[in-house]
Amino acid sequence: MEYVSPEGLRLDGRRPMEMRQLRAEIGVVAKADGSAMFEMGNTKVIAAVYGPREVQNRSQQITDQALVRCEYSMANFSTGDRMRKPKGDRRSTEISLVIRQTMEACILTNLMPRSQIDIFVQVLQADGGTRSACINAATLALADAGIPMRDIVTSCSAGYLNSTPLLDLNYVEDSAGGPDVTVGILPTLDKVTLLQVGFHLYSMWLQRTEC
Amino acid sequence: MVGLSEGEKEFIKGGIAQDLRSDGRKRHTYRPFYVETGVIPQANGSARVRLGATDVIASVKAELGKPSSLQPDKGKVAIFVDCSPTAAPMFEGRGGEDLSAELSGALQRCLLGSKSGAGAGIDLSSLVVVEGKVCWDLYIDGLVVSADGNILDALGAAIKAALSNTGIPRVNVAAGAANDDQPEVDISDEEFLQFDTSGVPVIVTLTKVGKHYIVDATSEEESQMSSAVSISINRQGHICGMTKRGGSGLDPSVILDMVSVANFVSRQLFDKLDSEISAAEADEDES
Repeated sequence: MEYVSPEGLRLDGRRPMEMRQLRAEIGVVAKADGSAMFEMGNTKVIAAVYGPREVQNRSQQITDQALVRCEYSMANFSTGDRMRKPKGDRRSTEISLVIRQTMEACILTNLMPRSQIDIFVQVLQADGGTRSACINAATLALADAGIPMRDIVTSCSAGYLNSTPLLDLNYVEDSAGGPDVTVGILPTLDKVTLLQVGFHLYSMWLQRTEC
Repeated sequence: MVGLSEGEKEFIKGGIAQDLRSDGRKRHTYRPFYVETGVIPQANGSARVRLGATDVIASVKAELGKPSSLQPDKGKVAIFVDCSPTAAPMFEGRGGEDLSAELSGALQRCLLGSKSGAGAGIDLSSLVVVEGKVCWDLYIDGLVVSADGNILDALGAAIKAALSNTGIPRVNVAAGAANDDQPEVDISDEEFLQFDTSGVPVIVTLTKVGKHYIVDATSEEESQMSSAVSISINRQGHICGMTKRGGSGLDPSVILDMVSVANFVSRQLFDKLDSEISAAEADEDES
């Protein structure tokens, strides 16, 4: 299948290095301590942060830093075909872990010992790049909650199809089976905090993305 | 779930007794409703309803299926509700399942009528494509994004709005194939059938706090309730379903009283909801 036309346009009319339209809103969940909605094209996620608060399960308490927890869930209607009972499958457990590790790396956990921060991300619409969208939403929600952070993490995915590097893959491009990378960076510190590479990549390239 | 001091509890109860609640409402007033339709482009119909800080999304997806052998002339409708952990940390993991099951059950009772499909708010026979062989299965999914009391009423309103936003593709059955076991069908992507949602009831939940009962309780007020009755009422003022929650018992005469109050409130709710839905759909057409 042709993912990039001879004129250099992708299936949705974007140029290879073009992102989808971004939209973000803060304070969407009134009851949460911090919350944000993040849209990348048709991908739409909501993140809510509760905490820092008392540790619910005493045995998990860490004496010198905060406990960061994360749960990723997808709505039944988020995908093209309706999915049944999506909770707790392998993919969401893995993404929860990725988000948790990325956020843990930028939260100043040592400032809030013996407390707990919960990050919940809910995917409303999935159209590729949910991982990146969730990280961006989680960062905004943490900032909205006023939690001290080293920097604002931004994340984006990229892939390689038809011998062209493509930025911010949508669902069709993501499921094409080409190599893909998800990168999370701390822009002011200029550091990479997340790097996931799927499939083998012959010539490694990283396109910096500033969201 | 809600941490309140003794003083705050007394304040809530006292306010309800004097017909002036902590947010300035009277006992039988709803919070402002906001309806947005077409929020999930992948679904056949969807709506988001905000009721104060309560925020729910409902989506309708239609799939072709086979009617059950007991009801060959009717389509199938199923309602599932999911409580997102974003609404409250207690819904994390499997924590939301109890409430999800309770809400799904209550909505099925209130909107879908009996098991045979009689008395459903939606005309199930309009979902049949070929009798006994092909029908539409409607999957109604509700998602609670933010919870501040009265989730059931909000979900009921969201489902009503999502159904009126739903377009089911017109299906053409190949000529002469109607007698085959698996008739070939051709799904049109241009023509859509709209539902008649005038028969879909609204749900009014009356929450009893102290001696009085209130509509549209916030989560603080719900934490002080002794029992709650959810009544679904259609346009004609007929009761379509009823669910009681909460531990304490109710005097039968109180229930009858509640029904007449719910009937009165539902008329205002219908008008408000209908105008919000048509405004939301006009907004969507414009953009």
